[in-house]
Amino acid sequence: MASEEEISLLVIVVDVNPIWWGQQAQREPQFTLSKCMDAVMVMANSHVAMNRSNKLAVIASHCQDSHFLYPSTNHRTGDNADDVCSGGDGKYELLSVANNVMAEEIRTLMSKIEVKGSSTDTLLAGSLAKALCYINRVSKELEAGQEIKSRILVIKAADDCALQYMHFMNVIFAAQKQNILMDACVLESDSGLLQQACDITGGLYLKIPQKLALAQYLLWVFLPDAEQRSQLVLPPPAHVDYRAACFCHRNLIEIGYVCSVCLSIFCNFSPICTTCETAFKIQLPQMVKGKKKKLKAS
Amino acid sequence: MEDEPERAKRWEGGYERTWEVLKEDESGSLKASVEEILFQSKRERLIKSCGQVRLGMMRHLFVVIDCSRSMEDQDLKPNRLTATVKLMEAFIDEYFDQNPISQVGIIITKNKRAEKLTDLAGNPKKHIAALKKAVDTVCLGEPSLYNSLNLALQTLKHMPGHTSREILIILSSLTTCDPANIYEMIQTLKSLKVRVSVIGLSAEVRVCTMLTRETGGSYHVILDESHFKELLLMLHVKPPPASSSSECSLIRMGFPQHTCSSLTDQDAKPSFSMALLDGSNDPGLSLGGYFCPQCHSKYMELPVECKVCGLTLVSAPHLARAFHHLFPLGVFIESPLEKLQESRFCSSCQGELKDKSMFTCPSCHSIFCVECNDFIHDSLHCCPCCVHSQNTA
Repeated sequence: MASEEEISLLVIVVDVNPIWWGQQAQREPQFTLSKCMDAVMVMANSHVAMNRSNKLAVIASHCQDSHFLYPSTNHRTGDNADDVCSGGDGKYELLSVANNVMAEEIRTLMSKIEVKGSSTDTLLAGSLAKALCYINRVSKELEAGQEIKSRILVIKAADDCALQYMHFMNVIFAAQKQNILMDACVLESDSGLLQQACDITGGLYLKIPQKLALAQYLLWVFLPDAEQRSQLVLPPPAHVDYRAACFCHRNLIEIGYVCSVCLSIFCNFSPICTTCETAFKIQLPQMVKGKKKKLKAS
Repeated sequence: MEDEPERAKRWEGGYERTWEVLKEDESGSLKASVEEILFQSKRERLIKSCGQVRLGMMRHLFVVIDCSRSMEDQDLKPNRLTATVKLMEAFIDEYFDQNPISQVGIIITKNKRAEKLTDLAGNPKKHIAALKKAVDTVCLGEPSLYNSLNLALQTLKHMPGHTSREILIILSSLTTCDPANIYEMIQTLKSLKVRVSVIGLSAEVRVCTMLTRETGGSYHVILDESHFKELLLMLHVKPPPASSSSECSLIRMGFPQHTCSSLTDQDAKPSFSMALLDGSNDPGLSLGGYFCPQCHSKYMELPVECKVCGLTLVSAPHLARAFHHLFPLGVFIESPLEKLQESRFCSSCQGELKDKSMFTCPSCHSIFCVECNDFIHDSLHCCPCCVHSQNTA
């Protein structure tokens, strides 16, 4: 049972990569971005309804930018509260406000942003970094005596981007230091980076077998917080491959050579490091001195 | 003073009357000027650290803790030894967090002798357990600088050339009892490229000044407990610049896979881990673990050096932890808030900018508030908005 002063903050990061979702709409017309957002809204409402002191934030991760869907800076002032009023169906006002704000924001986001440039990868590392900054701000703004437990839930659609590896690892280590759990719900292909993130921070990783049942998986697996998870039977942890990839061929290796200056990994010994261009000392085999044999006078 | 040619000449400004820098305020206290000096040095350290300097990533550090009679003094609460040990535990945690492939050993000196508390190892748990027991040691006698340096040197001189060899001494006594000439020891340390730093708890001692100056380390005397904490955590946790003579080599390392199996698996075979050889209390028999790729001996935790074949075993995230030293994030430009016409929001936390100043990232020109700036530079080490601008190139 959470104490009254403990606040539980859930940040949901949704991957809204337009290219992946566009292809998805052609592959499987029953499951589109709007169905996904419905499931996310159900999850968000359930989290807020669990406890009066629970807090929520939702970030949409696009290939150009990451945008806070809730709380939104456009609807910050109290004047807009009348416009996004409850629909009159008796729902708790906070929930209907949140839903309307999220729907409005994602509509503006998807219509306004044009895909420029050649990159089609979701900027997940940037969204996670913004989520961490938001959690940091909320923790600093607490009143005395209140504690906060935060976690991040990532709903991932598109594939990993290898270029973001370093930013991703920095984000993971920062989250581990602040004791923030990272959970991952993967829609299509397995993501090695998210598996590592969940393993290091102590969260859950799940690849969904059926996309249509997204809301069900979110509510059953990802809604309970860390203390309650120990009492539930949850999907077993995935086997994480922690082998390193060599810098020259991108193969996964078990034994490699590491440069002592820049820590780049190579599969074979080479006299010069390609990343930092240091020349290495080569260990020469020891010269064995021949023993002088006494010639017997025959 | 012919034996001190290193002291700067007066016209170079190094021999100024240092007491004139301190100014008293109307109540006669020096607090404001001391704080100003501390703030300036912190600023300088931040600016200096963001540069293209080669760092010593694999560090072998020996910490020498003075356990002489003066450690029972109660000017640090509850007494100097307890406060030091508590800060040491925090230091060890932070040290292995920032330098995952480095090793630490602890030496205690008292009663004119030195003894090793823990040997050089890469696992923080052993050191912390030993430190917790060390709180109860009786402090008596005088410390011996020579003996502790000698003891540390016996292990450090066998370390490979590409690692950085360091000794950190926490000295509270004003005296030391040495069986031989300490100046020869200083020359030996210098020739073996060992860097010695000292944190003094009482006052400045000339032999320590000489020791640190010759070997290239730093010498500080603490003002109070928070200054002690800051010195330990800010100064000595970061990897030092590598000396020009340290060799660079390719180190052979293994990246073992973690096999975790449960009892329900058909093929699960229990095996003994090599931790048994240390004489620890665990039974050592378990189902999963890390298997060395060369000799298949099992270990429960990484990083570790395989006892059977000598291969260093690490996992890829350990190396990734050290990357932020190699690619440090630049300092953000501070500017007053009045320059903005309308009220804006911080790009990363969406909070309203209400402090006096705001920070701008030099590469992506996004604006951050004061708290985000601190968080980004202390923990995150990457700008949240630079990721976006990199991809849209």
